[in-house]
Amino acid sequence: MTRRKEIAMLEVTTDWYLSLAAILFTIGFLGMMIRKNALIMFMCIELMLNAVNLTFISASKHFGQIEGQVFVFFVLVVAAAEVVVGLAIIVSIFRKQSSASVDVLNVARG
Amino acid sequence: MWLEVSLEFIFLLSIFLPFLTAIFLFLNKKLFNELMTNFFTLNAALLSFAIAAYSFVALALNKFNGVNIELFQWISNPDISIGFTLDGLSGIMLILVTGLSFVIQLFSTSYMEKDENYSNYFIYFNFFVFSMLLLVMSSNFLVMFFGWELVGLSSYLLISFWSKKPAAAKAGNKAFVINRVGDFGFLIGLMIILDNFNTFDFYKILNNTNEVSENTITLISLFLLLGAFGKSAQFPLFSWLPDAMEGPTPASALIHAATMVTAGVFMLVRISPLLQHSNLASLLITVFGLITALLAAFSAINQYDIKKVLAYSTISQLGFMFIAIGAGAYVAAIFHLVTHAFFKALLFLGAGAVIHSMHHEQDIRKMGGLRKQMPITASMMGVGTLAISGIPPLAGFWSKDEILASVFANGGIYYIFWAFTLGAAFLTAFYMGRHWLLIFEKDNGFEHSDINEAPKAMTRPLLLLGIFSIFIGFINTPFFHGLEKVLHVNLEYVEVTHLPEGITLIVLAVLSIGAGFTGLIIAFLFFGIELHKRIDLQKFKLEYPINLIKDLSFNVLYLNKFGNLFFVSGMKNLTRKVAVVVDGMLIDGSVNFVSTAFNKTSKITSTTQTGMVRNYVVYFGLFLLLLIVLFIATPMVQS
Repeated sequence: MTRRKEIAMLEVTTDWYLSLAAILFTIGFLGMMIRKNALIMFMCIELMLNAVNLTFISASKHFGQIEGQVFVFFVLVVAAAEVVVGLAIIVSIFRKQSSASVDVLNVARG
Repeated sequence: MWLEVSLEFIFLLSIFLPFLTAIFLFLNKKLFNELMTNFFTLNAALLSFAIAAYSFVALALNKFNGVNIELFQWISNPDISIGFTLDGLSGIMLILVTGLSFVIQLFSTSYMEKDENYSNYFIYFNFFVFSMLLLVMSSNFLVMFFGWELVGLSSYLLISFWSKKPAAAKAGNKAFVINRVGDFGFLIGLMIILDNFNTFDFYKILNNTNEVSENTITLISLFLLLGAFGKSAQFPLFSWLPDAMEGPTPASALIHAATMVTAGVFMLVRISPLLQHSNLASLLITVFGLITALLAAFSAINQYDIKKVLAYSTISQLGFMFIAIGAGAYVAAIFHLVTHAFFKALLFLGAGAVIHSMHHEQDIRKMGGLRKQMPITASMMGVGTLAISGIPPLAGFWSKDEILASVFANGGIYYIFWAFTLGAAFLTAFYMGRHWLLIFEKDNGFEHSDINEAPKAMTRPLLLLGIFSIFIGFINTPFFHGLEKVLHVNLEYVEVTHLPEGITLIVLAVLSIGAGFTGLIIAFLFFGIELHKRIDLQKFKLEYPINLIKDLSFNVLYLNKFGNLFFVSGMKNLTRKVAVVVDGMLIDGSVNFVSTAFNKTSKITSTTQTGMVRNYVVYFGLFLLLLIVLFIATPMVQS
């Protein structure tokens, strides 16, 4: 019982959520920097976006304001649209060079 | 409204008739053959002359009180309008220009026969006459300036008429460029006038000369003088005129007799109320006129081109006119302009007839003894020679004597000027005598049996001009001051130098006749009976000085070479250096520096653009970190 109470006492505050979001964002960002595969990088972007979403929601909850949660919907919509375009681009890249590695795509170098 | 237009306006017709003729001939260039061109241009010239004569008679009946016609006002303040005037001065020029234009065109129809650009010649010719009429008939400086510039343009067209000859094209360029120097002075003079008087109208300016200071008047006079020097081929700016001999001979006659070169003299007489207030300008005019008269007369002594002798003689005679203006004898200047116009036109057309008969040979050393083959031309050229030498009672005597007497009458330093002018008159007689003797008398060992007298279309103008050269002098003699009456309106506010009275005048006249006769006699001794070959020159050690004089004369004291070296080559080197330093190093250098600087920095910065997506992500992350740091650091700084 005591132990249960202890567990109940371990209250999940906003800091926890924000930390989780920061960790998710960092993972996503490191993935962007380290991985070559365009598809994985894409997933990392999604990860970062959702980390941001989490930040929005927790902040919204913390301050008792609804705007943050509204904004998340916008982000979701934009992310969905981005997935559509992005995936199409990745597919066409793959068709052209039969690999999804982004390092080969340095045509725009200075 | 139409009824109000009086007959006074009719003189405008004689100005614009040559212009209309030029346009008409231009439009029908392909259509007309030589005969049709002749028909229109001669009739137009004759009509123009008839209207001019009518206007002049009407002016005479009005006691030479001028008519001023303002066509329209262009700008009200400053007062600039387009207008024309018919007074004594412009009336004389009107009748002179239109009359000589007719005579010379008559001559040209024969001289230019079968030229491939026959109608072009008459288009330019009519345009030239129009430009000159615009110049002389204007009632303000602006229209005069238009005419001034158009004369330069049309003289360029006529001088380089045979532009297939490189020499002719070059001569046209030279005339145009040297005239630009003068025009530049004229233009600055006009700007100062507008600044001080707020108008361009002659009458408003010349009647209000007291309103501005003497220094301003001197400044205006000096700049206008530069213009006159360029147009009238005076000392520093004279070398275009001998080169202009590359043009067709009748065109030279027109340039030298009635149009173009007289413009400077005309303009100075027009502004005589200004000039009389400026002693410095008057003195400069006399000095430069004197230098020109002596220099050109000296240069004419040993020229071998039949036309170049006459060209230098024109420059010299223009020098006489300038001397007269400087001495305050404005009537004498215009008088000499008129007489000179006739005998110089006569001499040039005579030379043209000789050139025509000699199949375009212009070297007088290859002529000689042409008197028997060409009696009319020879006698008429003889009349012209006597007239220019100042032998009474021919035209040149009266005008030249009046100039000499007026210079003498000024006293002081002008006694010295008078002596030099007399020397120039002597040289004139000498080289003109030589000219005539070498062409018509001396036997140079060339066979001339195939040479015939020039056609009638050439000899008739010669006869006409010959008659005028004999009698035109009587319009203004010491006994009958005709020209002074004609010009009385123009010279109302001017103190004209008057001739000395009584015995002095007679002595001066005898001296000037003496100078003329001596020149002719010495010319006869040298080139007629060839005295120098009969006596032993070695005995007098004269060979060297004579050769020196011959060499200096032929090369015009090496002034042309000096001018070329100094102004052309010097300027070329200078501009080349300027081009290298200023253009190459300064301007190009700064532009190149900017472009290379951008190029290099962009090369450095573009290395960051690897094209690798993951690198961009790294940059992105770094800037994100920077933002976070800034975000955290900012409140701390503020607090």
